[in-house]
This record gives sequence, C-alpha cells and structure tokens, in this order.
Amino acid sequence: MTTPNEPMRMLAPSSFRQALSRRALFQIGGAAAGLAIIGAACGSDDKSTDTTAAGGTDTTAASNTTAGGGGGSDLLSQYSNVINKSSGNLAMFTWGDYNDPDIIGALAESTLGVTMKVDYYPSNEDLITKLSSSGGASGFDIVVPTGPYIPQMVEKGLLQKFNKDLLPNMSNVDPFYMARDWDPGNDYSVCKNWGSTGWFYDKTKITKPITTWQEFMDACAGEASGRCSWLDAGPNVCGPYFWANGINWTTEKAEDLDACEEYLVGTIAQHIKAFDSYPSSALAEGAYDLSMAWNGDARQAYFRIADAGGNPDNWVWGLGAPATEIWMDTYCIAAGAPNVEGAHAWINWLLTPEISIKDLNYHGYHSGMKQIDKLIAELLPELVRADMIFFTDDQVKTMQTGAVNSAQDRLIEIFDKVKAKAAG
Amino acid sequence: MTAAAQAPTKRGRRGPKWGLAVPSFLWYAMFFIAPIAVIVVYSFGAKDSSKLVPVDLSSLSFDNYGNVFSETFFKVFKGTLQIAVTATALCLLVGFPVSYFLAFKVSERWRAILLGLVIVPSFASFLMRTVAWRIPLSANGEFSQWLQDIGLVGAPLNILGTRTAVFLAIVYNYIGFMVLPMFVALDRIDSSLREASKDLGGTRLSTFASVTVPLAGPGVVAGVLLTFIPMCGDYITATVLGGADGFMVGSLIDSQFRGSQNWPQGSAMAVLMIGMVLLSLVVFAGIIWLARKALVLARPLVDSWRQNRAEALVAHREHRAQSKPVQPKVRKRDGVHWALAVWTTLVLIFLFVPILLMVRHSFNNAPSFPVWSGSYSTVWYGGEPGRTQSGQPMTGLFEFGEIGPMLLWFAGIIAIGIVLPRLVAAVRGKRSRLLSKWSFPVAFVVAIIVNGVTTDWYQSIFMNAGVGDSIRGSFIAAFGATVMAVVLGGLCGVALARHPGTWSKVMMALLFLILVTPEIMDAIALAGWFKRIGGPFESDFLGFVPFEMLRLWVGQSLYASAVVTLIVRARLAGIDESLEEAAGDLGAPPRRAFRQITLPLISSALVAGGLLSFTLCLDNTIISTQISGASSTFPVALVSATKSEIKPFWAVGALLLFAVTLAMLAFLANVLRKSGDSSSQIAATLTGS
Repeated sequence: MTTPNEPMRMLAPSSFRQALSRRALFQIGGAAAGLAIIGAACGSDDKSTDTTAAGGTDTTAASNTTAGGGGGSDLLSQYSNVINKSSGNLAMFTWGDYNDPDIIGALAESTLGVTMKVDYYPSNEDLITKLSSSGGASGFDIVVPTGPYIPQMVEKGLLQKFNKDLLPNMSNVDPFYMARDWDPGNDYSVCKNWGSTGWFYDKTKITKPITTWQEFMDACAGEASGRCSWLDAGPNVCGPYFWANGINWTTEKAEDLDACEEYLVGTIAQHIKAFDSYPSSALAEGAYDLSMAWNGDARQAYFRIADAGGNPDNWVWGLGAPATEIWMDTYCIAAGAPNVEGAHAWINWLLTPEISIKDLNYHGYHSGMKQIDKLIAELLPELVRADMIFFTDDQVKTMQTGAVNSAQDRLIEIFDKVKAKAAG
Repeated sequence: MTAAAQAPTKRGRRGPKWGLAVPSFLWYAMFFIAPIAVIVVYSFGAKDSSKLVPVDLSSLSFDNYGNVFSETFFKVFKGTLQIAVTATALCLLVGFPVSYFLAFKVSERWRAILLGLVIVPSFASFLMRTVAWRIPLSANGEFSQWLQDIGLVGAPLNILGTRTAVFLAIVYNYIGFMVLPMFVALDRIDSSLREASKDLGGTRLSTFASVTVPLAGPGVVAGVLLTFIPMCGDYITATVLGGADGFMVGSLIDSQFRGSQNWPQGSAMAVLMIGMVLLSLVVFAGIIWLARKALVLARPLVDSWRQNRAEALVAHREHRAQSKPVQPKVRKRDGVHWALAVWTTLVLIFLFVPILLMVRHSFNNAPSFPVWSGSYSTVWYGGEPGRTQSGQPMTGLFEFGEIGPMLLWFAGIIAIGIVLPRLVAAVRGKRSRLLSKWSFPVAFVVAIIVNGVTTDWYQSIFMNAGVGDSIRGSFIAAFGATVMAVVLGGLCGVALARHPGTWSKVMMALLFLILVTPEIMDAIALAGWFKRIGGPFESDFLGFVPFEMLRLWVGQSLYASAVVTLIVRARLAGIDESLEEAAGDLGAPPRRAFRQITLPLISSALVAGGLLSFTLCLDNTIISTQISGASSTFPVALVSATKSEIKPFWAVGALLLFAVTLAMLAFLANVLRKSGDSSSQIAATLTGS
C-alpha cells in the first residue's frame, strides 16, 4: 500500500498522472492541497461537483471519473470517486481498532483537511448510553452502530438524516448491502463493514476438529475447559446454542430462551475462561486454546501469533456452522454533530474504492463495495487470508442477521447468569 | 481545656457554626443528593427503551427489588465480597511488615526514600499498570518460558483469567492505601512504650503482640476501610486480568445500565449494593467491638500470666545484668531486620515491575502492547514508521519533527523562571523568597496556558490526535476538579474540626455515603442530571468554558472533595485550638484569624489533599466515561482501548502522563519539605490520619 510520505496513489497510468497533477493544481490555484485529488482526470468526463458547506466552509470539490482509456482503470471508472474537502475537527465514536491509522491520521488531514479524533466503545449499548445521556451534545460527529440498533437510535433522536447530495459515493455500495430492514431508505446509515462469527483454535491442543457450533461447545466443555473465550455480548453468547439447535438467534420464544439458559449455565459456563470480544492479542499471549471470534479478529490473530514468535500453522479458523451471524456496522451521523459537513465528507471518502480497500486491508472486514473481488484483484492482489474476509454465497446463506427485540433483556439476564457461573 | 474556658470564645463568633460548610452542603445537594435521589426514584419505575431516559415512572412499584433479590445478584455479590475480603486480608498481610519496617527499622532519611518509592508507582495510570501485568503472566511470555527452562513449572503459566490474577491485580492496586495509614499509626507509637515493655521483661514477640499491634489498630482500621470499600465497587481492575473470574457486582450493575438499558433494575441493584456494603461495614465494626470486649474480659487472666512471666524474666535479666555491664542501646540488625528488609524490597519490586515493563514495551516492535516482539523500535514514540509482518502501518504517538520547537519553547520559559529570580536578586541586592519559590512554577503554568491557548503546537506534535487530546484533557480536568475539591474540602474540613455539632454528623454521614456509593451509580445519575439542568452543562459557558470540561470538573470533584475534607479535618483535629482562640482573644476578627492562623495550619493538609485528589482525578474512569463526550480523558480513552487490542503508544502516553505528574510531585514535595513536614507527617496528612 501507500507509504505515509506519499499518501496518494494514483489509479492511472503515469501519463495521466502528470496531466492530472497539472490540471489539479490549476483547478485549486496551485495550493499544496493538490494532494486532495484522488483518481484520474480524463477528458470530457471531468466535472466538478461543488458542494456548499453548511457553515460556508471553504469547500473544494474535485470529482473525477475515469473513462477507460489504456491502462486498466476500466474497473475503477465504474465507481463514483467524489472527494469533498472539509475543515476543522471531526470526532468519531467507533469500535476499537476499526480504521487504518493512516486514514484517520495523515490521510484525512491531507485529503479532507480535517483532524480526526477517535474514541472507541466496546458495545452498541455503550454507544447508545453515551449518546442518550448527553442528549445530542455528545460532541461526536460520526458513530458506527450495528444495523439492528439503528431503529432504536432513530426513535430516540440520536441520529440525523443524511444529506445524500453529499454522499454520491453511496452508489459504490453493492445493492445487496443497502436498504436493509433497519433502514430501508438508507436515510441514516450506510454499510461500513460486515462480518461473521466463528471459532479459532489450536489444533495441537484440541485434537478433534470443530465443524459445528455443537462441537465448538463440546470442545469448550472438554479439551479446552478453562482455556476458551467467548464474545463479550449477550446475544453472541447465546447464539451458538441457538445455531447448534436449528433455532434462529433472533428467537423471542420463552421456551427457547429458557432452554438456552439451562444449557449454557448448566453445562458450559464453568468452562469459560474469559468473555473477550477481541481475543487476537490474548491468543498470541497464549491465554486461550479456543476462541469464539469475529472473522477479522481471528485473521488478526494469525498475524499476532506470528509476531509473537508462535506458529500460526497450528491454528485453525472455522466459520460458524450450521448457521451463524452476519453483522453489519454502519456509518451514521450523530444528532447534534458539530461538523455535519465534515462527517458527510468523511463517510463519502470512505466509500471511494481505494480508501475502502485500504481500510479493509487493515482490519480484514468486507466493506460492501460492489464487485469487491475485482477491486481486490486490481488494488490489492497481495491480500492474504482473503477467505476469512470474503465468503461464498453458500456460506452467506447460512448467516442470520441479528435483531434488537423483546428478548434483549432476557439475553442480558442469561448472559449475567452465565458470567456469574463462570466466575465460580 | 475546660468547657468553661471554651464558652466565651464560642459566643464571640458570628454567623452559624457551620457557615464554612455551606458551599459543600450546596455542592453535594446539587450534584450528589439530587441526582442520586432521581436514580432512587427510577428504581421504582419500569423500563421503557423508547425514551431517551429509558424509564417509565407512571406506575411505581417494588418489582425491581423483587427481581434483584435473585440468585444471580447474591452469587455475584458473594463473589465480590469474597474477593474484597481476601484481597483486603492479603493487603494487610503483605503491607504490615512493610509499614513496620518503615516505622521502626530505618533511619529518617531512608524512611523518606522508601515511602516515596511506595507512593510513586501509584502516580502512573492504574489501568496501564494493571494491563502491564499481562506481560509477565502470559503463558507464552518470557517469564513463563524462563520458569519452564529452570524447571520451576512444568507447563506454561496459566494465571491470566484466574482468581490468582484477580487477587494480584487488586492487591497491586490497593496495597499503597493499606501501607500508608498503617505506617502513620505505627510511626505515632511512642517508642518509650515499646521500650518499657521490653524493660518490664517483655520478649520481642510479646511486645509486638501486646503493645505494637493494639496501638496500630486505628491505622489498620483506616487501611482496611480505604481498601475494602473501593474494592467492592471497582470492576475494572479485576476484569483486565481476571477474565471471567473477575466478574464483580459493579459489572453486573453496569450491564443493567448499559447492556440492557434497564435503568430501573440497575438503580435497584445499586441501592441494594450500597446497603450491602454498609451492612458488611457494620459487621466489620461489630467484629472489632467483640474483639475488644473479649480482650477486656480476658485481660485479668492474661495479665496475671504475663506478670508471672515478666517477674521471672526480670529476675533473669537482673542476674545477667549483674554479671555483665549494660550495653548502650544500638539498633540491632538481626535476622528480623534483614527479613523485613528483604520483604520490603520484594514488595517494592512488585510495585515497580509493571512500570519497568511498561517502559520496555513502549519500544515493542509489534502492534500489541503485551506481546513482546523480541526487538526494540522507536516507532511508537514517532520514530521511523514501521510495518507489521502483515504489512500494516504502525504509527506512533508523536510527530518527532515537531517536538524540537516545542521543547525549545518550554526550555525558554523554564530558563526565564530560573534566571529571573537570580536577576532580581542581583539587582535588588537581596534575595526575594517569594520570587525564588514561585517564579519557576508560575513560568511553567504560564508556558502551559499560553501553549493551551495557541493549540497549534499541541495538535502538531501528536500524530495520534485522540490520545494527545485525551492526555491534555486529563490534566485540565484533574486540575480544575482538584481546585474545586481543595476549596470545598478545605472550608468544610475546618468547619468539621472546629465547629462540630449536630450538623457535622449529617455531613460526616454524607461524606461517608459519597465514599461508598458505587461509581457507576454516580456516573449514571450525574449524566442524566447534567442533561436535566442543562445550562452551562449543555453548552459552553460564556462561550469559552467547555461544558464537557465543566461536567468533568464537577463529576471528579465529588469524591476528591470528600477526601480533602477528611484530610483537613484530621489534620486540624490533631492541632490544639488554642492558637486560634488566642487570636480571637487578642481581638482578631474571625476572618483574619482564619487567614492568618488556620490557613497556614492546614496548608500542608491542603497540599497533600490536593495531591491525592489530583491523582484520584487523573485515574477517574467510570464517572468520566459516562459524563464526558468526545473530549475524554486518558483513562476514558484507554478503558475502551482495553476492550480491543492495546497498541504500545498507550504506554508512551501513560509514561508521558507519569513523567509530568512526577515533575509536579517533586515540586510539591519540595514545598512540603520547606514547610517543615517530615516524611512521616507528609504520609500522615496524605492518609488523613
């Protein structure tokens, strides 16, 4: 990928690059902000989209679509590549380690002209509590809730509607990841990344291969007793039981929930060592033999284990089966955001193919871009362990979207009981 | 002093006796009682997640309490209590020899040094220190490998995520609060009592058992309270190392408020928890009372036995003394002395290990703080940007190129602070004490403020703007909260010590309640409360006081001001009132007597209290997390980072905070020393005994 000293990589042959630089510099009056222009300008397709800032901030818009023409950017020409300049500070409240530090650091400054300030939350509930306890004065511009939590947040007035004129790059997102139940019009949210859940284990310690959630739970109560970690959230802890037993994890039936409680508290809880939503680093420390993990974090675990001098080949990743979850985190703009225009500029920028793929390379989660396999082939052929990021259609069919429904309190109650039991 | 002598001066005072405590009363009524009362009301409501404050108060009931009286709650509460009691006992066992050694076995000079060493580690971010324990405890770590190599253990260490790790984390974080008050109590024991016991024939052991331990009693009680109560409410320390085994009742309450948004249930749990903590304190007091009774009852028996033994021993000694001339008393360096010295050294190593590891791992050439890569790199400080094995960028905390101008700027200001007084002295021909004492700190503060106003340098030296801002936020928040705490606590402490009455019992109860209320309850209560009252807590006051900072100041000042109040009160209680009375008798109006007599008397207590509250505020996590928005403090940012991977630049940030705090500390210690306090007195004021 790009180096920090040379933050922009042009997606055009070098002849175009030179033309662009001259042109771009001309356009914006020779300012050093020429760096802000990404992509290649070409012929008559070159157009400038002037987006007026809410507060009259100096906005430079440069939008380019490449119209083919010798050099292999055919693919990228099919994407919208608008980048709006902005200014000032931009506060984002998101999940831990969820953006390439280059993008939120030097690149955001040089490309968008904003200084990013990022805070992290460990759960959607934390996000909601914090936003509601400050009632629209949280100071955050961008938040990243998981899909099913959006209706609740809209109802509480914690989010504000997008100005879609400022988000032309939304057209780059695969329609499959748009118009989801929680926000059919994508008025408040757009896909940031999505992923799934599975297991990650040391095959030298766990001799019986794990292929289903039942085998995962059996291993946890067996060979990995006292050495296994589960995700740190109520629905995720109950999920494996439901999936193993052919129940959708959004079930609201009392008997399902009761059975889940009985099984988890009675059979599993005492064997759990930790509730850890990001086990990759602890796996490298040798803390667990078996972890329930999100695909991107499990992918990180391979790298961390290698960094720590361990042997990644001893470790096995498996996607949850027979069913598992699909979660989708979305970019939203918080109600009362101090820098609305900057928030739009940021989200729009992250929806450009190159930045989206650069970010993906960092955390290892599918970004929902259309034709993403082709994008990867073009922009990031060196990507390793891609099978942990992109799933086959058959795999995707087994993934169930979560829900925030009447079972939520009960799931937390079960989770608390499991935790109480696990603490012995 | 007799009551008759006291009466006239009392009558001479104007205004209500508790006048000085009015600000504190108002403060606590506004920011503690009222918000907590709202929460208590919530505990009778029902959950309604469609509302911003997810509580429906249309029909009140006791249902939540019925739900809370469940097996889960009591199980978790029992676990928490077990952990807190065991950890308190461990702190006592580990800490007592250290306090004993410091009080009786070392010279005044060494005592100051050792006390300093005990206190210093607590000025580094508690969260980062706790995380640093993951390094030696990890199964694949070098320590585990070394233990296996020398054959001490057969398999990789399996400590992380167990009760052992929970105890280690808690004892590590709280042992200082145990050692200091015990040291103060032991230090106050008149050595002649111990000598008398020995002269009367007491052996070493019997002197220890019947003189030293009973006299250390108050210190032990203070230490137990200072460790046990916060342990019950703390749930962050335990989970960082203890995994599932570190599930505390605080987490359970937190999961109600944040996990299921069930504020009514969470409120009921918090109310119940306060009740249970108070109950266990009552039990604790009962045990002490019973023990005393038992001692009194058993005394005649024990005494007669002792007397017989003593007489025999005295006879023996006299016999020996006749044959040998009495040696002049010298401090013996025998086995006990060395054993205590070794133990104290071990405890000090225990306290410093995580800090040293923190330093090393801030140079880790890999993106995970606890997992050592085997090679050093300056990338996290802002050196040459690196790449991980998987090709990910590693970005440091600072932008090195920008540090130069900033250092020059600071060096210049500090140089002026040092040179100016000398210059003035040279011109005037005599040294100005005031100038030489204050010019440096004033220059320092001016440098910070000027820099703070022109924030460009600040933004540019930090590559990671979020961490940089959080460090600055920490200092500004802690500084403001400390000022509030010192003013409120100072006034209230004086009132409590000098004008006690019925009101003081109410105030003491209130202070006690503030100290035992679980932080998560304060946090939720305050967050809702600030929103309710709005005004400067919702938009910047007069356009320049950031409302988030105001929230942090108020939120952090609650606990801190209670601590300062108790310290000031304890300090004054130990000083004769006659000085102030003399001033009154000589016709000084109360205000003048306060300014000229009382204030100097409590100045060291104010400094010590300010110091303590500054560190408490710097480490404040739970309240700050809930009430502050984007401009969070260092621990707020760090606690969310601990939920995912901890990058080594957090250690760099923690070390920066630590260095600046130590610099301030060194300056204050200097002031304290100049004001004539010995190290023991400093420790005494610090612990409020």
